[in-house]
Amino acid sequence: MTRSLMAGVLGLLMPALALAGEYNISVDRVIIDTGDFVKEGIGYNGSSPGPVLRFKEGEEVTINVTNNLDETTSIHWHGLILPFDQDGVPGISFAGIPAGETFTYTFPVVQSGTYWFHSHSGFQEPNGAYGSIVIEPKGREPFRYDREYVVQLTDKHPHDAGRIMRNLKMMPDYYNRKQQTVGDFFSDVSEHGFMTALSDRMAWGDMRMMKADVEDVQGFTGLINGKGPDQNWTGLFEPGERIRLRFINSSAMAYFDVRIPGLQMTVVQADGNNVQPVNVDEFRIGVAETYDVIVRPRTDEAFTIFAESMGRSGYARATLAPREGMEGPVPELRDAPLLTMADMGGMHGMDHGSMGMGEDGMSGMDHGDMDMGGDSMSGMDHGVMPEQEEPAMAGMDHSNMAGMDHGSMMMSGNGAEDPFYAKGSGLVPTAASGGKFLSYADLKAQKPLYEDREPTREIELRLTGNMERYSWSINGIKYEDADAIKLQYGERVRFKFVNETMMTHPMHLHGMWSILDTGAGKWNPVKHTISVQPGTTVYMETEVDAPGQWAFHCHLSYHAASGMFRKVIVEGGPEQGNTAGVEQERVGGDV
Amino acid sequence: MKLSKFGVAVAAMSLSAAVFAGGTHGGGHDGGFGEAGKAEDVSRTIQVEMFDNYFEPEEIEVSQGETVRFVIQNNGSLVHEFNIGTPKMHEAHQKEMMMMVEHGVIQGGKLNEEMMNMDMGNGHTMKHDDPNSVLLEPGQKKEIVWTFSARTSMEFACNVPGHYQSGMYGDVNFDAGADAHASAH
Amino acid sequence: MNNLKLSALMLAVALSASQVMASDMRLDDSGRKDALRLWGVQFEELEYRYSDDDEELGVWNGDAFYGTDELKLRWLGKGEYAIEEQAYETLENQLVLQTPISTFFDAKAGVRFDTPEGPDRTYGVLGITGLAPQWFEVDANLYVSDEGDTSAGLDAEYELLLTNHLILSAALDATVAFSEDEEIGVGKGLVSTETGLRLRYDLIDRAISPYIGVVHERKYGDTADFARAEGGSTEDWFAVIGTRIAF
Repeated sequence: MTRSLMAGVLGLLMPALALAGEYNISVDRVIIDTGDFVKEGIGYNGSSPGPVLRFKEGEEVTINVTNNLDETTSIHWHGLILPFDQDGVPGISFAGIPAGETFTYTFPVVQSGTYWFHSHSGFQEPNGAYGSIVIEPKGREPFRYDREYVVQLTDKHPHDAGRIMRNLKMMPDYYNRKQQTVGDFFSDVSEHGFMTALSDRMAWGDMRMMKADVEDVQGFTGLINGKGPDQNWTGLFEPGERIRLRFINSSAMAYFDVRIPGLQMTVVQADGNNVQPVNVDEFRIGVAETYDVIVRPRTDEAFTIFAESMGRSGYARATLAPREGMEGPVPELRDAPLLTMADMGGMHGMDHGSMGMGEDGMSGMDHGDMDMGGDSMSGMDHGVMPEQEEPAMAGMDHSNMAGMDHGSMMMSGNGAEDPFYAKGSGLVPTAASGGKFLSYADLKAQKPLYEDREPTREIELRLTGNMERYSWSINGIKYEDADAIKLQYGERVRFKFVNETMMTHPMHLHGMWSILDTGAGKWNPVKHTISVQPGTTVYMETEVDAPGQWAFHCHLSYHAASGMFRKVIVEGGPEQGNTAGVEQERVGGDV
Repeated sequence: MKLSKFGVAVAAMSLSAAVFAGGTHGGGHDGGFGEAGKAEDVSRTIQVEMFDNYFEPEEIEVSQGETVRFVIQNNGSLVHEFNIGTPKMHEAHQKEMMMMVEHGVIQGGKLNEEMMNMDMGNGHTMKHDDPNSVLLEPGQKKEIVWTFSARTSMEFACNVPGHYQSGMYGDVNFDAGADAHASAH
Repeated sequence: MNNLKLSALMLAVALSASQVMASDMRLDDSGRKDALRLWGVQFEELEYRYSDDDEELGVWNGDAFYGTDELKLRWLGKGEYAIEEQAYETLENQLVLQTPISTFFDAKAGVRFDTPEGPDRTYGVLGITGLAPQWFEVDANLYVSDEGDTSAGLDAEYELLLTNHLILSAALDATVAFSEDEEIGVGKGLVSTETGLRLRYDLIDRAISPYIGVVHERKYGDTADFARAEGGSTEDWFAVIGTRIAF
């Protein structure tokens, strides 16, 4: 009663809107068939992935979400700028949608581009609860195309996501079948000599880290628009046409390296925001990111969209073809990358200063000195022994890392460089064609969204974790023990991400844009999800322009669930606006 | 015959011809793509506006043999090019433009004139001085006079890397009366 | 009634217009704020042993847990069942609480009940378990029995990946007694060792992994003397076949 009255009052206050659309979504148990296996999952309107929601910038949307599950659900509109009580995170934005009930989202669409939506409850998203959003701009697009397709990627696993979480907690390497074997050791011996191979193994063994720890959850089938490699999703074209492909990575865990052999791709949008076009042969799409590319096949033949997972344990495949049923050649998976010591650079519990890398390779390393009673990786575990660790760390000289001669060590990356990867990292991607691989450094905003200004303050967020316990955290503290990050409305905050783990973390701040610092000043690209590679420090700035409270987390499902998550509270706000929603919610709850 | 020779000469003047030894400029060989016009022959002025990253208008109609004055205004905030040619020529030219970006001649919204005139060490510069194209910084206005003497598949395009690919081009359509001009030529 | 609510609402709206305080914000009651509660069951060994003396044994070594990162309740069980004699040579059950003490190690405390054929014992247990450098899984325990005798056990295991599915594991269990408990055949000093080499294949994920292997058991010092006096053996070689289970 109160709610509808309230809505009425608000309605009167709002100017008449030309555009308004109503959409209905049901949340259902569905059957997912990947071609490799069939499993039960969760979907929208009877299927996974759910529908493509097509909005128009300026539209006031009303979305009725009916929960047909026997548990609470929610929908988060990933990347959309909206009042916080419409953001769909149970416990932060709203109470969630109880089983059997319908919740109505209403919000104005204030942006355009490619986005997606997914459940923010439990493990419903990795179990299939995701769909895509395409928002047509008010004005013309700054590019042209003849047709467009959504290309939504995911890493569909035969196991239920809850079971995957449990297995990872029990055995962190449960799904890792890319580990170094005895055979790998002997091939290292023949390539580098026995002592080098042995000391390399010892160095990693001493850290109790695996250089093959690139993909935690293997054994998935890569899907494109719900279709497995053999089911081959196909988009049709007429030769000569420009096609806009809206790539969305809705994976639980997998990064994908995407290419279309025979076609150059022009990246025109990242995370829904237009970027100055970049011609590339291949790009890496992080979990939750989107990239829009334009391709122009001129010949009457089929082209394969090939998306290898970063750890090369799986792939997704689809086809662009002039006619249904045509197929292009499907490439082989390339070799899996291996982490290098450079990727461990962020783990400052390790005393790199004492590793005499300069002259005699690894031989100067004194592991006895490094052992701190089973806690040599103490940088990862400040919560346990804070007093002893901090002073020791302060005096450590990380600059030695830069001078480390990776050449004298094994597996020191592939020689490729990218400023967003540690120098000498084993993860730096290269294009299969030998051509251009997209880097974050190539992304420049097409039109700056905000005026460039000095940030008002900096907040350091160390991305921390313990692989052996499969626990992930920020600043060494899991969400369950953490206080909210408080921001003031109107400030511009510079976030400093320091990745102290050996995993890549796609960090996603809800409700406000993440301006990635690529050094391009006002042309810095505006994103919603920022990948932070192992051993690197990445900065992003946020104009704090959305009151309320928001989620801020690593978008890898099992990292978020095991603690790499924060609540952000934006205090203060404009005179009128979204703040009413807080009280509405509160009063509404008492009725 | 005369025309195609001129076309080759134009190409030779630019860096492109030196680097991509004529072959990539093959577009010029398929009967020519017109020539720099004389001011006194101008029958019409077409205003072209540049935005990030598209032209307005996105197609123009010409008659074969017609000489047109293009007044091009860059209303965007990035450097853009206006280049008349065949799709093949554009494709070849894009490689040179890529080089200009890589060497810092084109820096987003700025042109580095100094770099442009710098000797590349082989007697060539990265001058962008073909008569069929102009390069504009944001806010700049430039002109080209062009005679559409050859009826062929043509586009005007911005070959700054990525711009053409993402749709910054316009079609040059020859009108039905073109044949009359052709025979008069 | 409705009027009252309406005025309350108006008041709330008026207040909110000027300030949003953290205290007004929703508290996260979604369950995400609670520590993950997990469980697991694992049988490292579940095997049939055949000795060089034609002795046949059914053997298991397993554990199950429930809890969070910070605190787990764990059951550990060991058994050796002599098939011919239809008697338990070993039957141990431990119930311990486990909590992290460093990045790679946990401490445990609890009780152990030994109820084999023959006299029973109850022990208090204090131990650490975790991953040592170079990937050695270590489990070290101190036991105090209801008879007042103390002993210690050390288990270490190392896995060698022949391939990512074919894994050779080497395990060493050693027991040391600090005092004699003749009733159960334990002499002071090094009591016994059990060394095992098992080659397993991960058949279904890591849930079911059949294996074959060899196990060497040996008793030392007074313990060996007690065994001899009883007419038992002091050293045995076993061929084993079994499966590792984790779910």
